[in-house]
Amino acid sequence: MPELLEISQLSAGYGPLRVLHEIDLIIGEGERIGLVGLNGHGKTTLIRALTHMAGWQQGSIKLDGAEIGGTRSQGAGRRTPGLVKRGIGVAPQGDAIFPGLSVRRHLECGAHTKAAWRERRQRIDRIFDIFPPLRPLEHALVGKLSGGERRMVSIGRMLMAEARLYLIDEPSLGLAPKISHRVMEALWDLPVTGAMIIAEQNVTLLTGRADRMIGMHAGRLRGDVGHVDLA
Amino acid sequence: MTEKRFYQVGRKPWEWRLKPAGDAERARGRVPGTRRHWLKWRDVHNDKSLKRERVMVDKKPLWWTIGLVLLLFITPFLPNSMISVVSIFCIYAAINILWTLIIGTAGIFSLATLAVVGVSAYIAAAANVYLGVPWPFMLIIGPMAGLIFGAILAAPSTRLDGLYYALLTMGVAEICRVFVVQLRALTASGGAITNVDSFIPEDWFLQRPGLLLGFVGAFLLMLGALLVWRLVNSERLGMLLRVAKTSREDEAFAEAVGIDFRRARLMVFIISSAALGVVGAFYAMYYRSISPQIFSLDQLLLLFAMMVIGGLGRAEGAVVGAAIVTIIDKGLIELGPPRIILVALIMIGVTVFAREGLMGARNQFRDFRNRKAGERRARRTEKGGEAMPEEATEVHDKQELYYRRFNKRLRDKLKDMITPELIAEHQRDPLGHHSDALARVLNFFRRGEMADKYVIHRMKPAEEKFRIMAVSGARGMPPRVVDDREYSDIKEAYHAVFLLRVNDLLES
Amino acid sequence: MDLGLIVYALNLASIYALMAIGISILWSSVGVINMAHGATFAVSGYAAWLVTGALKPVIAASLGKTALASAAMAGALVGSALITGALCGVVIYLLAFLPIHDKPNYPVRALIITLGLNIAAVQGLLWTFGPRSQGLPKIFGFGRWEVWGTKIRYDQAGTIIGAILIMTLTLGWLRYSRRGLEVRAMMQNAEGAAYSGISRQATALPVLMLTGALAGMAAALLSQTIFVSPTAGVIPLIKGLTIALLGGLGSVPGALIGAVLVGFLEAGVGAVPFLGQRYVQFATFLFIITVLIIRPRGIGGLLDDTRE
Repeated sequence: MPELLEISQLSAGYGPLRVLHEIDLIIGEGERIGLVGLNGHGKTTLIRALTHMAGWQQGSIKLDGAEIGGTRSQGAGRRTPGLVKRGIGVAPQGDAIFPGLSVRRHLECGAHTKAAWRERRQRIDRIFDIFPPLRPLEHALVGKLSGGERRMVSIGRMLMAEARLYLIDEPSLGLAPKISHRVMEALWDLPVTGAMIIAEQNVTLLTGRADRMIGMHAGRLRGDVGHVDLA
Repeated sequence: MTEKRFYQVGRKPWEWRLKPAGDAERARGRVPGTRRHWLKWRDVHNDKSLKRERVMVDKKPLWWTIGLVLLLFITPFLPNSMISVVSIFCIYAAINILWTLIIGTAGIFSLATLAVVGVSAYIAAAANVYLGVPWPFMLIIGPMAGLIFGAILAAPSTRLDGLYYALLTMGVAEICRVFVVQLRALTASGGAITNVDSFIPEDWFLQRPGLLLGFVGAFLLMLGALLVWRLVNSERLGMLLRVAKTSREDEAFAEAVGIDFRRARLMVFIISSAALGVVGAFYAMYYRSISPQIFSLDQLLLLFAMMVIGGLGRAEGAVVGAAIVTIIDKGLIELGPPRIILVALIMIGVTVFAREGLMGARNQFRDFRNRKAGERRARRTEKGGEAMPEEATEVHDKQELYYRRFNKRLRDKLKDMITPELIAEHQRDPLGHHSDALARVLNFFRRGEMADKYVIHRMKPAEEKFRIMAVSGARGMPPRVVDDREYSDIKEAYHAVFLLRVNDLLES
Repeated sequence: MDLGLIVYALNLASIYALMAIGISILWSSVGVINMAHGATFAVSGYAAWLVTGALKPVIAASLGKTALASAAMAGALVGSALITGALCGVVIYLLAFLPIHDKPNYPVRALIITLGLNIAAVQGLLWTFGPRSQGLPKIFGFGRWEVWGTKIRYDQAGTIIGAILIMTLTLGWLRYSRRGLEVRAMMQNAEGAAYSGISRQATALPVLMLTGALAGMAAALLSQTIFVSPTAGVIPLIKGLTIALLGGLGSVPGALIGAVLVGFLEAGVGAVPFLGQRYVQFATFLFIITVLIIRPRGIGGLLDDTRE
């Protein structure tokens, strides 16, 4: 299995607060990883650090062998658009939607590569196939949608351009159980070319479906991280 | 022999310190009538010399005193034109200090400061000229007018925020100007009230004694403004407002703990407006006239430039900015329009480079240096540093940083040494003569911390049955069992502990 | 209200709308209250004056007094104003956006820098050209139309049509082009925009150039009615700013409605005999202050019915 993402000694935090503590993680091509942990143990910070959105960070992150990490003590978000263009798709916590755009325009925003923009109609159609409830809402403003529909729009925006690595932060946050199951089912059914990391508090949504489950506790990884087995 | 080099970690600015005798009792004077001390000293303990030392924590009062005393004693020796420049500087500084109180302490972005000054100046001057009120009463009428006008202006500030309020106050200034210009009684003089009585006798006006008297008055005015600043910003009102200063969340927090920050803001606004009324009355007296010029946007922008150059929200910024801009604007008057361009360029330059004006530059530089040092420290070992960019400055015991760094490198080195052969060697002979690499690894394990250290437990005396436990590290707390495997051979148990420790090392 | 008054009101409204929309778009997408908008206005006016002055003999020599000549003149005037406005946008980008856009206190600092730019530009113009105002060539000619018994001057009609044209183009660009989509996305959620691969640095430049060009267009159109002077930008700036605030800063439809309201208000107050021109400013400010006290988020607050 070729390596897609190689994180080594990644630390990150906000101001004097250090949230991630020297994380090492290797993710292979085609893997779907469930990242579980309680509130405040660093799941979101890990995802934000991968896109340079954390307050500060250090340590190496390699995407397809190219270094995208480094030491940085300020300038959060400055490199994010560039990293997204390099193939990291993000569905952030809290959705970060554009309330005044229609669902269609919103999805078009996600088509940031040339190819995606050219065939945006087909791709939007494909997103509507994945999330059928969005189809009748095509011209509705996103700001008027319900929480579940917003989550679908946010994930749909991420899926518009093909990425090497999909990062999905708390897809079930604030949703009714039925809807969150539906969103998760749609996620599992996606054909993944690269890899996918789903951060989630609700372990039952992940068990049996994720290729690997990684726990996060107090800013460190726990569980199936893949360390040397000596016994 | 080359001298050993020590790398500095964290912040260690050079500081001037008093060295009192070890047993001397600490004596601090208090400001009469209050419980405040004159200067803020702190007793510290020098880690290296083990002696007692005393540091002046806040050196600002010292600089203030030096600056003000110098200004007071140098001015009488200046030529006439410069004396009036200094007086104008003092008046502008007073206005700026009070404005800083409104923008910085109260956080109300008001642009009506000069309007308050102007309105109270007009009312005081009108009372003097048309009603024949003698000049000392102007200093009472002025603040009364300022108080009332300020209260009217302050009312909408609770409802509108930020820019909306700024616009409103700008509109008020414009309305005032239009109103004054169109007053029928003043049309002959173009909206100005002239021949105002003054504390400067008429035949001294624009003569050297008159200028000096004017300077003394302006200086006292500035001192008064500083006193108001001190009483409002550093006492109860200012402290209350500091809680609700930076963000919406802070405001919510302040409300939750029972601070009525809106009321406090209004209070600050009204107090400053009353003080601005005094400035207005003084202004009318100093020039013996008052004209609609005071409501103009240019004048306002010039004052705003002063505050911006010095640093918004700081009293010393308001004064230093006023000094710089007044010298350029009034001192280099023969330059013509380019001097305003110069002021604008300084304003742009300061804002691009400095976060909080010239007076905040020192802190900004310190932060920058700390940040760069942190980044360097983080890069010093190739794979992950021993301390985080921003974290290191928060760690008080710098020894800790060095220990982390050492430990980190040691672990990196030991990880390379662990090979299947090494493990096989330990399995063969856990106690006996070890190779160099194995001896090093084992030495590292022996030095490990007591908490969670693995130990072997003989389950029954005189019986070859062992179990692995981890000690708690706390007195009185029993060790916990790591797993329920039992070992019949002590060598096997030794090796199991070794493997557990190796695993922990590799995982760290 | 007679037709002449309506035309006058629309004339005012179209100039105000050009200024206010620029300020509004800039605030919501780039986060700058552009105090240098007035300077852009004045500088573009002067650039148009210089260019038309230089080209006048050339055009007269080559084309004579034909309709083509006046069309070329109009093109030179509008083109030079637009290009200068866009260049001013580049200057603002380089000074007030690029160095500080991810530093602390950015909105206040950007406001101060643009304010400084405004002062410097106005004083620079005063210094180079003197306080005298300059007349630009009348690109729409001097004639009048007779519509239902009222006379409409060509320049008024031209201003209204030109402004509507350029605003339609701008809004259409914002609405239908890919770049416009990115700008709108950034106006609404900066973090979401970053996650959609929209870079703030790359998007800010076209926005600043566009709003600068809008101010240049306003200068070209207003110069048909009044003269160009170094301080000509102050009133449009204040008007644009207040109308943008009235519209609820960041809301383009709000700014449009605000501009129309204020245009009609000013024309109406100016026409009332016992109030007259002197109280126009007074009335506008009073109106805007009243609206803001009743609806602190302006007209945009009324239009917006989406949830955060």
